[in-house]
Parts: sequence; C-alpha cells; structure tokens
Amino acid sequence: MKHARVLHKGVELDITVDDANRLLLADGTELNEADVTWLCPVKQPGTVFALGLNYADHASELAFEPPTEPLVFLKGANTLTGHKQPSYRPDDIEFQHYECELVAVIGKAGKNIAREDAMDYIAGYTVCNDFAIRDYLENYYRPNLRVKSRDSLCPIGPWLIDKDDVGDISNLKLTTRVNGELTQEGTTADMIFDVPFLVEYLSKIMTLQPGDMIATGTPKGLKDMQPGDVVVCEIEKVGALQTHIVSEQQFYGDKY
Amino acid sequence: MNSNPIVKGKLVCVALNDAEQLAAMQAEFSQPPYKAAPTQPVLYFKPHNTWNTEGAVIEWPADEAAMVVGASLAVVIGQECCRVSADDALSYVGGYTLLHDFSLPEQSYYRPDIKGKCLDGSAPVGAAVVPADQVADPAALTVVTQVNGTTVSELPLSQLERSVPELISIVSRIMTLQAGDVLAVGFRGERTAVQRGDRVTSAIAGVAELNNQLAD
Repeated sequence: MKHARVLHKGVELDITVDDANRLLLADGTELNEADVTWLCPVKQPGTVFALGLNYADHASELAFEPPTEPLVFLKGANTLTGHKQPSYRPDDIEFQHYECELVAVIGKAGKNIAREDAMDYIAGYTVCNDFAIRDYLENYYRPNLRVKSRDSLCPIGPWLIDKDDVGDISNLKLTTRVNGELTQEGTTADMIFDVPFLVEYLSKIMTLQPGDMIATGTPKGLKDMQPGDVVVCEIEKVGALQTHIVSEQQFYGDKY
Repeated sequence: MNSNPIVKGKLVCVALNDAEQLAAMQAEFSQPPYKAAPTQPVLYFKPHNTWNTEGAVIEWPADEAAMVVGASLAVVIGQECCRVSADDALSYVGGYTLLHDFSLPEQSYYRPDIKGKCLDGSAPVGAAVVPADQVADPAALTVVTQVNGTTVSELPLSQLERSVPELISIVSRIMTLQAGDVLAVGFRGERTAVQRGDRVTSAIAGVAELNNQLAD
C-alpha cells in the first residue's frame, strides 16, 4: 500500500493512494489532488541519514575513489518537503544539482541488527531528491550542513510504499528528468553499500528508530538547476517525485 | 530510548569555535585533506538517539577503549528564527542551559563523524533552562567542567571565534530554527578524556549546571 500525508483545507491527513492514483481517506472518501498539498510521507521524521558517493559511477564523476566504508551524513528535518512543492536555488551560487535517491524508512527500533535480519526493520520505501550546492562545500565534515541541511532542499515522496509491495530492491531503475529531458539514469544494482549493509552498519553505532530514514545515494548524472526548472526523480516500483525550483526570494518571501 | 523535555527539534553543535584551537591548527588546516581553513562555522548534528538529561548515566560504547567529553552553552531557541541578523538574534533565544557532548576521540574533521558523535544517549542537555532575559550577554559567561571534582576545562565564551548572535544568524540562513531547537555554540578545543565511572559536571556560575556519570 502507498501511504501519503497531505494538507487538505488546513488539516493534515493520512491517506492512501491506490493503483489508479486515487487519493483515499481511511473511510474510502476520495480527495481531489488539486485540493491537497503533499507533505513528507513520514509523519514524525526521525534521523535522516544520507549516503555520499554510494554509486561507483557517481564517485568517479566527482573524481573520488569509491569509499571502503560508507560516507554517512545527517540532514535536518527542515530540509524535508513534499511532492510537487518548491525547492529553492540560493542567489549567490554557480552549481546546484539534484540527487535522485531510494530512501529506506525504518519501521521498528533496533540496535546491533544483523544484515540477514535488516529487512525486518524496514517499513517501506520512498524517493528523495537530496539537492546539493557544490559552491558551499568545505573540507570540514564534508558534505557540510551548509550544503546538505538547507530548508526545502530534500523533497521526499510522493508516498511511503510498503516494503512487500516493492519486493526485491537490488535492481530498481532510477531516473531524473529536468523539464522532461532525461538527465540521470542508473540502477540500484550499482549501489556500493546496500540497504541491509547500511542497517547493520548504522545500528552497530546507534539505535535506529521508527521514522528514521536512510537516503541511499545517487548514481551519475549531474546537471545544474535554475529557477523555473521542474525536476522529476523516479524510482521503479516506488514512485515519481516532482519538484519545482524557485529563487531564494520567491521561496522566503517576506523573510528574504 | 532517552528523551529530553528541552530539545524538541534539532540539536546543532558547533565544532572548531574555540579561537585558541583555531589559531593553533592553522598549519594543519593548510594541509590535505583540508587544504584551507574553514570559512564557515563547522556544524554537526546530535540526532534524536543521543538526546539525554541531567543526571543520566552515559553508556560506554561496546568495543571502544576511549571516550571524550566536551561541554557547551546550549542556546534554546524560543520562537521560529529564519534569516535573522546578528543584531536581532538574541531576541529569538528562549533560554540557556548546558550540553555535554560525549563522543569518541576525534582523529579528523574531514568527514561527518557519525561513528564518534552519534552514540546513544551521548548528548545530555539541561537541567533547567534559564530564561534569556536573565542573561544580559552570553559572551560574559564561562563554562567550567570538572571530572570527579577536579577542574579539567574552562572556556570563557568571549574566546569563541564566532559569538552566539553571529552563530544564530548564520545558522538561521541555512536552516529555519524552531522553538525547542538547540544550538551548542562551542567547546574547548581540547576535549577531555574520560574513564568508566567518571562523574562529569559542568557549570556556568549562577546560570546552569549539568551532572552526568559514565557507566561502569
């Protein structure tokens, strides 16, 4: 089942999305998509883990050797926004790119989880677009929070799909389209550290909690984004996440 | 799992904000992997699983021989704070308390230190939050840390490379801060080695005190 969260007439609602893409309340009432604002599908986001350089082709694209140990960083919940929502491009930069990523959402608390048990702790999957601003990279806790923890720069969704509805995640196609043009294409088969490995690795360090998320990295295919661009990150069997890019001033309005 | 009534949203810590430490490390910063000194505050998160409280006994991580602690003034945000100026920043502060950051010894600042900084229960915050209007100037405060009753570290906050209002302003331009978010503004450069069973107490005279103990 696909579980989503939307804002409808000022009220946050938990809904499901059926195979005909109908938005349904628990009692079967259908909502018109035009009347809703999509929210992050995880109701109480926990720790957001993200992986750097977790696809060999992307690592070489950035002129890095593939890592021998996962490069994990954390993101604030302020970065999360829903499907069909704006993300902003800062004014003073040269290069901002999307990163289409499969996100595994933790469904059960655990510590020291063995790789072979790892999938028991996964509730399901969603898609995120873990935008990066290369101008802001510095060699301190790289990728630093200034690059990776900005408001709105991790759209996620449209929904959380149950693990069993996806099945095997070891060879899912990922694509990104900018204004309709295919700009990124890869497969989760090229992931260096897979979801069971990451669950084992992280849970050895710390207790994982329901609502924690692991964004598993992105394959090759960087392209700069500009205000007005529409970006769609899609993962086979999981979903297609659409984002429109706005300027910093458009995004912040009165607070700009 | 631990909870903390003070921290509600994000717990952001600032590393390398001790001006003495920064000055001492300039030669190292010019070498790989850094290649240049930081131009921005060096920030890291302590995630939900780390949050802990006054009086908490801190778990010793399995398979680890060494741990260190640092103490910081913890600035508790009182209202939504987005793109504020340094001049206005203190008016967004709800109050002040203390934070202990228990971690593994840090070998490098190059990559995010998930292994060292994300240990369960490793970030006690508290106990009481002193209302912001009772602290005229946070730069006038000094954080003193004792281990088993012996003073091991003193950090006058006038020694921070970036002040509390500067940090709030800069961070609020990266991420909107919400009421209950906490900013740990700076630690003494040299963190303090601790052993199993040690009692760690930090205090800001007249403002806050935080007591923790390492598990046996």
